This record gives sequence, C-alpha cells and structure tokens, in this order.
Amino acid sequence: MNTMRVVLDAPGQVALLTGNEAVARGALEAGVNYAAAYPGSPTAEVLECIAAGAEMLGVYVEWSVNEKVAMEGAAAASFAGLRSLTVMKCDGLNVALDFLTSLSMAGTRGGMVIIVGDDPSAHSSAKEEDSRYLGRVAHIPVWEPADSREAKEMVKAAFDLSEDIRQPVMIRMVTRVCHASTNAVLGEFPRREVNACLGPEDKFITWIEGHREQEDKLRRAAHRAEKSPFNTYAGPESPETLVIAAGPGSYYAEEAVAQLGLQTSVGVLKLGTTWPLPEKLLRRYLRPALKVIFVEEVEPFIEDNVMALAAQHLDEIGRTSFYGKKSGHVAGINGVGLGELTPSQIMAALANVCGPDPAHERPAPPGWPELAGRDLAFCPGCPHRASFWAIRAALELDGRQGIVLGDIGCYTLGKGRTGYYLLQTMHAMGSGVGIASGLGQLWRFGFSQPAVAVVGDSTFYHAVVPALINARYNQANFVCIILDNQTTAMTGHQPHPGTGIDPNGNPLTAIPLEAVVSGLDIPVTTVDPYQVDEAIQAVYQAVQGPGVKVIIMRRACALIAAKTSAAVRVYVDQSRCRGDACGCARFCSRVFACPANIWDKAQGKARIDEAICNRCGVCASLCPVGAIVVEQYQEKVG
Amino acid sequence: METMRVKPGPQELQAQVMAAGQCTACGMCAGLCPYIRFAGDRVRIVYSCGLEDGNCYRSCPRTPHDLQDLDVQVFGAPREDHLLGTHRDIYYARAARAVRPAAAQYGGVTTALINFAFEQGLIDGALLVGGSLEQPLPRLATTPAGVNNCAGSKYLAVPSLANMLTARRTGLTRPAVVGRPCQVTAVRRLQGLENNHQAAPGPAPNLVIGLFCFWALEAAFSAFLTSRTRSRVTKMDITPAEVIVDTTGGPLSLSLDEVRPFIKPACHTCFDPTAELADVAVGSTEAIPGWNTLVVRSARGEELVQEARTARVLEIKPYGAERLPLLREAAWRKKKRVLEALAGRPEPYLRLPVDYQLAIAGEEVMRDEYYARSS
Repeated sequence: MNTMRVVLDAPGQVALLTGNEAVARGALEAGVNYAAAYPGSPTAEVLECIAAGAEMLGVYVEWSVNEKVAMEGAAAASFAGLRSLTVMKCDGLNVALDFLTSLSMAGTRGGMVIIVGDDPSAHSSAKEEDSRYLGRVAHIPVWEPADSREAKEMVKAAFDLSEDIRQPVMIRMVTRVCHASTNAVLGEFPRREVNACLGPEDKFITWIEGHREQEDKLRRAAHRAEKSPFNTYAGPESPETLVIAAGPGSYYAEEAVAQLGLQTSVGVLKLGTTWPLPEKLLRRYLRPALKVIFVEEVEPFIEDNVMALAAQHLDEIGRTSFYGKKSGHVAGINGVGLGELTPSQIMAALANVCGPDPAHERPAPPGWPELAGRDLAFCPGCPHRASFWAIRAALELDGRQGIVLGDIGCYTLGKGRTGYYLLQTMHAMGSGVGIASGLGQLWRFGFSQPAVAVVGDSTFYHAVVPALINARYNQANFVCIILDNQTTAMTGHQPHPGTGIDPNGNPLTAIPLEAVVSGLDIPVTTVDPYQVDEAIQAVYQAVQGPGVKVIIMRRACALIAAKTSAAVRVYVDQSRCRGDACGCARFCSRVFACPANIWDKAQGKARIDEAICNRCGVCASLCPVGAIVVEQYQEKVG
Repeated sequence: METMRVKPGPQELQAQVMAAGQCTACGMCAGLCPYIRFAGDRVRIVYSCGLEDGNCYRSCPRTPHDLQDLDVQVFGAPREDHLLGTHRDIYYARAARAVRPAAAQYGGVTTALINFAFEQGLIDGALLVGGSLEQPLPRLATTPAGVNNCAGSKYLAVPSLANMLTARRTGLTRPAVVGRPCQVTAVRRLQGLENNHQAAPGPAPNLVIGLFCFWALEAAFSAFLTSRTRSRVTKMDITPAEVIVDTTGGPLSLSLDEVRPFIKPACHTCFDPTAELADVAVGSTEAIPGWNTLVVRSARGEELVQEARTARVLEIKPYGAERLPLLREAAWRKKKRVLEALAGRPEPYLRLPVDYQLAIAGEEVMRDEYYARSS
C-alpha cells in the first residue's frame, strides 16, 4: 500500500496503483466527503488510502464498528447531500444487507458508492461468496472493474450515476483487481464548498411504494449502461463465437483469443456494468454469434442473466449454444464455479469450444515447480497459539469433551494443527457466541459438555455484544474468550473501539472490553496467554459452574510487538536440549508448532529460526528441560 | 515379584492411574512433561505425545513399584519398622521463636528446616504449596520470604511437583521438596531412574521433607469452604474429632462427616501416612500445641536436624512415650485397611515382599512388635 501515490496532487501524471489504491484515488477525485468501512480483505486498504488524504481534502474517514453501521453512516452523509463511500468485503455486505435493501427502497441523495471485495478462491476469507447477487436483491447497479485504471474511473462514474438515479451504486472488486497494480492517469482533486443539510422535503422512508421507484431507477441505470464506456467490444463485426467476460477474466479472454489465433471469428464483449445488463448491446452481439462463452468469477451471474435475456429474445437472437459454468466448459482452479479463473483455463475452455481445429491446440503451459507443502499457521509468536494451547489443556483437564466455537479472524486457524484442531464450529463474525448461547441452554436436553466461544477483540465490538446480552439475559451456560490482540490483526492492524485511535492514529477515547462486559453484568477476568499455566487455570475455573463468563486473553499481536520490543533473543541452548532422548517427542517443533521452532537435523536437536522468531518466549516456558533461552539485551535494537 | 509386563507409558498412566481415580495429584508427571498439565487437583494428559513409554509412568507413585526396592534405594536396607517406616529418631520439635512465621502449622518445623537448608547452601529452591487455604497453589520458593509465604498446612491435594519444570527451566540444581507421602515416593522413584542411568530429565530434588498425611482433600472442598464462611480462612487444622477452620470472622468447626466426602479417592489406597521415604517427616503431635512430631529417617535428614539444633533453629524434646503407640496404631490401621482394599485388585500398584505383608496382616503382629520394641 502506497498512500503517497494516492494523495499525489499531480493531475496528468501516470501512477502505478493497486486496485485498492485506485478506488481510493477515484473517490478522492470524485470529491468524496465521507468514507466509512469495517476492514475486510481484499479491500481493507481502501479506507486507509483515503485516510491519507483526509486532512488535505477535508474527508471524514471512519473505521466503523461494523459494515451495517458504516453503510448507515455513509447513507446519512448522502441524505445530507454529501458524497459518501463505504467499503467492505462480501461477508460484510451480508451484515449490511438488511439496511441496504431498505436504503434502496427509500433512495439516496448525494452520490453514494459501495465498494465490495469478493475473494474468489478465498485467499484471505472463509468463503468465496459472489456479492453481485446481493446487489441485484437490493435493486442497485453493480459494476465490475477489470483493473486499477478502470476501477478509478468507475468509482468516479458511479458517484455520478448514484446522483442521477438517487440510489447507491455497488462496485464489485475481486482480489486480483484489488491487489494487482496497473497504470492510471491521475486526475484533479475537486475544490468545492460543501454544506451538509437536510431540507424539510428530504425524507428517506422505506415503504412499499419504493419498490416501483427501485424498478424505475434500475431501468434508468440499464439505459445508461448501453452507452457506458466500461462495456467494450473487441473482435469481428459479426462474431461466430462471443465471449462475454467481466473483471480480470476479460483480459484472460482477450489473451486466449490472440494466443489461439481466433481474432477473425471470436469477439470479446467485456462488461463493466454487470447489473442491470445493457440489453441492447448484448442483443447486438448475441444475434450473429452461434456460440457464447461466459468468463466470470465465481458464480454464473452474467451467464444466467444473459441466458434469460436470450430466451426472452429467442426469435431475434436465434439458436445459440451457451458455454460456461452451466455446461461445465469454464472451470475455476478448483472446479466448475469454484475458485479463481486463470488465463490457461480460459485458453483451454476457448480451445475446447472452438476446436477441434489443431491450430487451436497449444502445448500445455509449463506447470508450477513443486513447492514445499506449508500448513496454514499462526504467525511466530502469535498469542493465539498460546491461547489455544491453554484452552485445549483446560478442556482436556476438565474432561467433559468441551466444545470450542470459533468465527472469522486470525483465530479461525484454530480449526487446524496450529490451533490443535480445537474449533468445532466456524461461521460468521460473532456466531460462535450465538451458537454457544444456544448450546448453553441444552442442559435441559442432557447436554453436559462445556462450551467455549473464542472471538477477536474487533469481532467483539462488531457482532458479539448482542449475543452476550442474549446469553446473559436468558441464563445460558458458556465461556466467551476474547482473544484480545489489541488490533484488527487479520486485515492489517486497523484500529477498533478498544484501541483509542482513529484511522490516522489520532487519539480517541477507547471503550475497554472489561467495561462493556462488566456493563452487561457478566463476570470477566483478564489473563496474559503467554502465562500459559495461569491461562489454563482461568479457563478451567471458568468452565466449572453455571452462567455466562468472559475471559479476556490479552496480548498484543506478535507482529506489532516484534516491532517495539526487540531487546530479546530467544534461542535453543543445544547443550541442554536432549533431542530425541528427551521424552518430549520434539514438543516445540512438532506439537506446539510455532513456525520458528524447527528441528536441526544435523545436530538432532531443536533450534529456533531466529530470522522469523518474534521473541515471545512462550516455547521457553513449555520446554521441559529449559533448553530454550530468552536472553535480554542491554540495548534496544532499532 | 514378576507380574504381567506392560509398556510403561502415558497410555497406561492414563488408564491405570488417571482414569482409575488413582491419581494423588502429586504433580510429578506434570513436572516432567509438557503434555501433562494440571488445574486444581486434576492432572491430565492434555495432548498425546505419541510415545509408548515415559518417565511419567516410571516415576508415578501409583504405578507398580516394590516398596522394599525403594527402602533399599533410599536407606540402604529394607525397613525394620513396618508401621512408621525406616527412621533413626522420633521427636517433638519446634522452630525457635525467631524463625517461626506466624502462619506456621504447629511448631513451624518444616518452614524452619527449609530456610535453614537455604542458609546452609544445601538447597537452591524449594517446591512448596502456597496460595490461600481456599485456593492453594504450587509455589517454587527461592528465598526465605518465599518459603515463609508458604507456611501452614493446606490439606488440599496440590500437584506441587509440577514445579519441577519451572525449577529445571530456571536452572536450579538442588531443589528441596516438601510434600505429601505420595509426592515423596514420586521423588524417590525419579531418583531411582537416575540411579539406573535411565533418561531422567535433569536433577531430582535432593532434600525431601515429608508431611504426615492420612488423606488429602479434593479441590472441590474449597467451594464447600467458601459456602460455609464468607470470611477469609487463615488457618485450618484436622484433629481426630473435628476440622477447625480459623477465619477472619472467627473460628468455624466442621464435623469429619462433612469433610469426608471431599477426600481424594486415591487416598483410600495410600499405604504411607507418615512419609516413610522422606529424609525427615513432619506432622502434628495431636497433644502439645505449638510442637510438631519430627521423624528423622535418612542420614541427610539426621545431619540437617542436628545442625539446625546446633544453630538453635530447632528445639527438640523426646517423643511422648504415651503418644507413640497411638501414632503406631493409627498408621497400622490405615495400612491394614489399604492392604485389604488392594488385595482384591488384579494388579495393585504397591508390591510388598511377604514379610512386609505379614507385618501388617494381623493385630497381634502389631501388638507383638510394639511390645517387643517398648520393653
């Protein structure tokens, strides 16, 4: 992330921007006044980039407690005539969806753009949900950029469309677009006076009459989509085969056509305005085509809608064969309708559909070199590893087959080896606590296992509080453990209401976790997970006896701590390590399994990879022979 | 006594001891192994190490072992006294006033001896039980202040040998142990591993002060105690008649019937009420307030006691002739009960040579032995 480029006041200059940077730049060039978000990959950086220009351009920037509140705040700015932006990942749109489906019935005023990050292949997500369907459910336009340059222009145009139809406009980003960089020409920052106010006629009330307006507005958006610069066609006037592509897949399609030498027969229609469809434009190219291939990530959204369009206009379009996810011809890297698309897969699909001409066949591209397998693992020194070890130990000590319920965050990895396979449920943010609240009522049906819900600190503010209120009020029995690493770690250390800072690091008054929990009349204890034995005792004590209880396991994210406390070295004194003669069976490298704990094959002893060790020292407190040394330096290392 | 061979490992420890309710919460296995942790008086394997054998099994006081072997290992010969175990002397003793902490039980002998051993450089740490009476916790003391904080009997089973890990990690080489008889046995078994040059993880404690213990209480007793009084408990004493609890709000008397349900089940099969394998064993007198019973067993124990007397740390007087038969009878009754209880088990943890068994078998034997010694 390079916020310097995003706020560079140099119109006409060409800058290499990631998709996230480009969205931020586009919003700033559009004169956005209000930006609010809850961090979520792959779009977490957008708000941080806007924040960098906030002071210079007078933008209000907020990390909101969750996506629904972020969207509500952005809507408020729109109601007052300002331009507003809200950013979230697809999961976040689910959270905000109740409000969005209401908002679009009541309409907006100032331009309002919703940036949604989808994560095909779920590189940094639990699911690869296709958010375009939600835009359709909410009756709002959905656009899809193919690269950064287009993303920047789309954001600006989306503000204009939003003000034209008085509806929010959604831009669906995918991970490749968010993170890949392309050149974009920087535009000007507008200098305009704004005065926020709601006149007596500015009313925004969700009511059934709004449905008619929603449909009218969509028709207007569809009309404008016919001339949209974001829908482009390249190929023969009357293509035999038409590729309809959106997002980065449109580049893969163009490349495949060129590589296969199909330029004379295959045309590529790249759609930027995915919903509502530019129907006339589509019909124009569907008419000559005998074959149509769909290239989009993840679900067959365009495919379904275009096939419905073709069915509706069968007489005009005639007999056409459709190839895509439905036919099984276009597969993602994990299968049909699963995972990201890749250029080679689009190439294969095109060759397959346009074959069997041998000219269309190409030697298979060289495969990737064999890479060493690597577990998903908590970072070296991650306090969650110690917390999960303590929870595991406490539940084994308790001996009643305690159940650990997780949700979305770094601690999701608790489902695997790095978290000792503890998690038995994992759904949406805060859901572990709601599920625990339910399990905590099942004693009346014979349920006698302790339930432990683990949540992150940011998640606590986002989605846990209502579930805790529910549990406390209805007298559920379980323990909620807040893994408080004092930041929103997974998305890149964004602040939350417990941190006491705003997106630019300026001070705000923190709302301590203990204060919130105590305010709910729920007993709360705080422990340091690095003090493993104390943490074990705390969890063990908490799972005894009835009621809902909260334990805060507080320890700063190791990636932050490592930057500030370097005056320590952790290493294995191999003269004390007994190697395989010790009864520990390589506990540090095999079981505790911090990536920095490694096995020195040459010496037959444990070793610490000091290049990646974050010097937490927890392994030293677990080694049964004290062979791991935590050495304090006299001087601080820079 | 050769019996069925089993692999001495964690799975058997789990099956024969933990799952069988035979764990005494001594904490030795947790003090050797990162896969075994404790909470309150529960000691459990929290993750499978994947090994088939381990010192956890070999050093457990409740896995099969031969008592005579341990006698020979510790004292160089089988025991002659089958009721109180090998000993050189038995006294009434108390700490000199200047070194007796207010919280000390009875005469404060244990606290004084440990502190004296520190001063003499005999030990560099001590595995003790501290915390409160309501929530006792393992403590590793490395200073006299740390020792004094642990003064006073706790009566709850606390796996204080788990601190062997901490002792080893912090580089202690001569830690002492103050423990219940089961903990003393565990330490002796660990020392036996060292003697046999088996893979023992670091130095075993080299001074062992045993505490008389006819039974210990489960951690659940704490909750019972706090349900009976809102005041802080300052001291507790178990007499043959009642359990006396001193609190900041005044004394509280509990009947033995109230307390008995909290006795750890494993204690019902304990053969050793007077810490027979310790260097010295310390208990109440049940007769003279402010004094302890002190049983001097090993040469090391004798030396320590003599030096402590010379240094005027310890006061000593002869054990009451009228008390000895009572102590012996109490020990005998417990041993007899336990032998009967173990007799029905397919493979009891305790292996006794025939003469050891016969010595306990009948009341007459006890009486004969007693009259023979006292005449």
